[in-house]
Amino acid sequence: MSMNVQTVEAAAVQPDGFGRPLIEVHNLVKHFGPVVALAGVSLTVRAAEVHCLVGDNGAGKSTLIKTLCGVYRPTSGDVVVDGKPVSFASPREALDAGIATVFQDLAMIPLLSITRNFFMGREPVKKIGPLAFIDMAFADKVARSEMRKIGIDVRDPQQAVGTLSGGERQCVAIARAVYFGAKVLILDEPTSALGVAQTSMVLKFVRQVRAKGLGLIFITHNVRHAYAVGDKFTVLNRGRTLGTFTKSEITLDDLQTKMAGDKELQDLSEELGGTV
Amino acid sequence: MAILPDGAANDTPVVDIIDERLSRQSAWRRFLARPDLGAFAGVVLVFAFFGVTAGGTGMFASDGVLNWLTVTAQLMIIGTGAALLMIGGEFDLSVGSMIGFVGMMIAIPTIYFGVPIGASVILAFVAAMAIGALNGFIIVRTRLPSFIVTLASLYMLRGLTIALSILVTNRTTVSGLKEYSNGSFVAQLFSAKLFPGFFQWLADNGMINKLPNGEPVVSGVPMLILWGLVMAVVGHIVLTKTRVGNWIFASGGDANAARNVGVPVSMIKISLFMVTAFGAAVFAACQVLEFGSAASDRGVLKEFEAIIAAVIGGCLLTGGYGSVIGASLGALIFGVVQMGILFTGAPSDWFQVFLGAMLLTAVLFNSSIRRRVTGER
Amino acid sequence: MKTGLTGLIRRSLLAVALASPFAGLAITAHAAGERFVFVSHSPDSDTWWNVIKNALKDAEHDLGVTVQYRNPPTGDIADMARIIEQATASNPSGIVTTISDFNVLQSAIKGAIAKGIPVITVNSGTAEQSKKLGALMHIGQPEYDAGKGAGERAKAAGVTKFLCVNHFINDSASVERCQGYADGLGVKLGDQMLDSGIDPTGVYNKVKAYLSVHPDTDGILTLGPNSADPVIKLLRDTGSASKFKSFISFDLDGDISQAIKDGLMSAAIDQQPYLQGYLTITFLTLYVRYGVIPPNNVNTGPGFITKDNIAMVEKLAGKYR
Repeated sequence: MSMNVQTVEAAAVQPDGFGRPLIEVHNLVKHFGPVVALAGVSLTVRAAEVHCLVGDNGAGKSTLIKTLCGVYRPTSGDVVVDGKPVSFASPREALDAGIATVFQDLAMIPLLSITRNFFMGREPVKKIGPLAFIDMAFADKVARSEMRKIGIDVRDPQQAVGTLSGGERQCVAIARAVYFGAKVLILDEPTSALGVAQTSMVLKFVRQVRAKGLGLIFITHNVRHAYAVGDKFTVLNRGRTLGTFTKSEITLDDLQTKMAGDKELQDLSEELGGTV
Repeated sequence: MAILPDGAANDTPVVDIIDERLSRQSAWRRFLARPDLGAFAGVVLVFAFFGVTAGGTGMFASDGVLNWLTVTAQLMIIGTGAALLMIGGEFDLSVGSMIGFVGMMIAIPTIYFGVPIGASVILAFVAAMAIGALNGFIIVRTRLPSFIVTLASLYMLRGLTIALSILVTNRTTVSGLKEYSNGSFVAQLFSAKLFPGFFQWLADNGMINKLPNGEPVVSGVPMLILWGLVMAVVGHIVLTKTRVGNWIFASGGDANAARNVGVPVSMIKISLFMVTAFGAAVFAACQVLEFGSAASDRGVLKEFEAIIAAVIGGCLLTGGYGSVIGASLGALIFGVVQMGILFTGAPSDWFQVFLGAMLLTAVLFNSSIRRRVTGER
Repeated sequence: MKTGLTGLIRRSLLAVALASPFAGLAITAHAAGERFVFVSHSPDSDTWWNVIKNALKDAEHDLGVTVQYRNPPTGDIADMARIIEQATASNPSGIVTTISDFNVLQSAIKGAIAKGIPVITVNSGTAEQSKKLGALMHIGQPEYDAGKGAGERAKAAGVTKFLCVNHFINDSASVERCQGYADGLGVKLGDQMLDSGIDPTGVYNKVKAYLSVHPDTDGILTLGPNSADPVIKLLRDTGSASKFKSFISFDLDGDISQAIKDGLMSAAIDQQPYLQGYLTITFLTLYVRYGVIPPNNVNTGPGFITKDNIAMVEKLAGKYR
């Protein structure tokens, strides 16, 4: 799929599959014994859309991710994927339904090669009689070409993933999810541990993935990053969604304020002379 | 790795751009950098050492070679399992006790209950793998460290071996198995000596020594050695060339990450404990059928030797990295050192001091070569 | 980096060169005279073999030969078989070995004999086993008979119920000692043999437990210093020595000899290990040099050490007795 920049913008407007809701969450509630982690989360993610979920630490972001990707079962509320209500018993089921999650730890194993990490759990096989062996040649080729699509030329895909920088690893994880047919990609704090150059690499790649027609849930507490890449913003506070806004409906500062809970950040900002 | 210019991502053909951060490496360095072959340096060092200090002592005559090769093969059998398990992130301390236990499981039914020896061996294997699976299951379910669970197994199996043998036979050594193993295919599978004709030919042509009665000093390759090679080769292929191998690396590297991408981590770990049990059973079967007897103190401390072989061979104690070939080379180093010290005539009181010192040296040498070659230093 | 690697290789070769004094050791050892290998079955933790080691050193000195002592560190007899095979492969002038487990060791010992290496068996094992293997002779103490001798002495003292404290139950010879004692006494062995293990505190506690469950025990047999010393301590601690009409131990050490002098113990069975070390090497040396060897076996025990003959023994206990 080779499109130049103008075509990408045009595709977002045309509803050629793009714009349809991929995943809808209605009033998701999750209790852990007496602890209420999620108290009613609702959001909709459409194809070719980056939906940013912003919330401070403790807002319930990681519980939400784990519930959406099949690690936890919701206490109540429903999740609808592509028009059909779903209930995942395991992460594998969520993956099969097209919901891929890139966790903060990336699910990358630093000591293993890029190829092995890329195809972890879904290794391509070639059969010799009754025995199945990994088709390493094919795997290397695909890993290399997928990385090039992100814009990284891996000379030797057998080198350890640990030799890649944090941003590069993040992109490998995303490329992996995309390659294996994710429809919805949940990114958990992808830029929180990255430097400036690497952050821009990841954000650029996020836009590329969006252009392919996937829906992305971009979870972060860094409002600046969210605003740079997002189409829609949902604020999560104390396990509850406080509202969804498009980019045109809200400014960066307002978003920040909403996320922090209006008053407190205002006061802190005044104390620090408006540098927050 | 180069970052390509904007817009170039999908359009440019795949061209070999030379990244200035990757300098060309000589084939030799790449050879030594493989986890498999880092231990190779240690092997060379050890052979050089004993070549100098024990050259004329018979260590490299045919029966001398058979002597340390036998120790090596035994260690390869259990070392393969230890390496795979360590790469998968766990330890099995019960291997030594399992060796003693399986030995009894083969000897007692055959001698005291009239079970045909082939059936005893098969049942013993089944029992061993079932116990291995139980170990694995407990570890996976309770999330207790495998160290603790298998330590408990170490005691329980050793105790069972002693208790059952005293209960049935009133002794702790059960002998007399040789009469039952004649003509049994299963017994041959573990105790036969291969290629006798070839060795007779070698002796007749003066290439190996003869006994006074004309027979060659070494009458054949023991099945034990074949088992060691087969287990190492199969283990290596499974680890490096199959999906299961990838899952083993993942389970040890980061079990949570692996689970999240759908790797059946629990299944893998339980299977690995069954593999170490299998290795212990092979070791025990070869030993019991070679000596014609089982004893309750067989295999003591062998689990540590297996772990040593794996570590010398480059397996990380923290899991996720290592190689079966490396463990086999580690077994070779251990076997050569253990027997080689005896050939040099060093005073026996100091045997364990020298053994420990040489193993430490081998590990340090391996790891320093690996560091230089991968550029860590 | 390249120089670093070369440097490392250079240094390793230097280390190997420095190791060549080891080679010197091996070579000079061979040049000094005949070389014999003495293989025992004892784990490193068993200190009883010190007397034999001393005897070997004396024999080396007196005869002008070299003796290498070998044993499996954990006491694993399978490892011992491997050691005998290694000894065979190194082509010594002769091998002395115990027959702690006939089945396990027979192949290795026969292998040495088939290669033309003279073998004398020592300590564990019976004369028949030694003959079956084709060894030149057996020098040791017949275990069953020694136990029986002790049992007969106990019977004469009026013992009816006994405890046999076995600290190395994996060795079949140990069981024969207890069985011999039972037969000498004229009773069944039953469960009067206790697996005490070798740890002193373990022995102490297990024996104490046994005696409290079987309070009418009036005879004790311990199979060596490892089991005797803790029992001596127990009897002293509880002051119950007078309850026992016979307390006999195999072998001798400081505690045992003191106990005999104090009247706590009736006798010690001395297999005279010094002879086992010295005679084996002497006979092998004479055989290798002049082809002479006695046509029969030598029983080095049982010798019974009692209050009457303990004085001299005591002076040399642990070193020569």
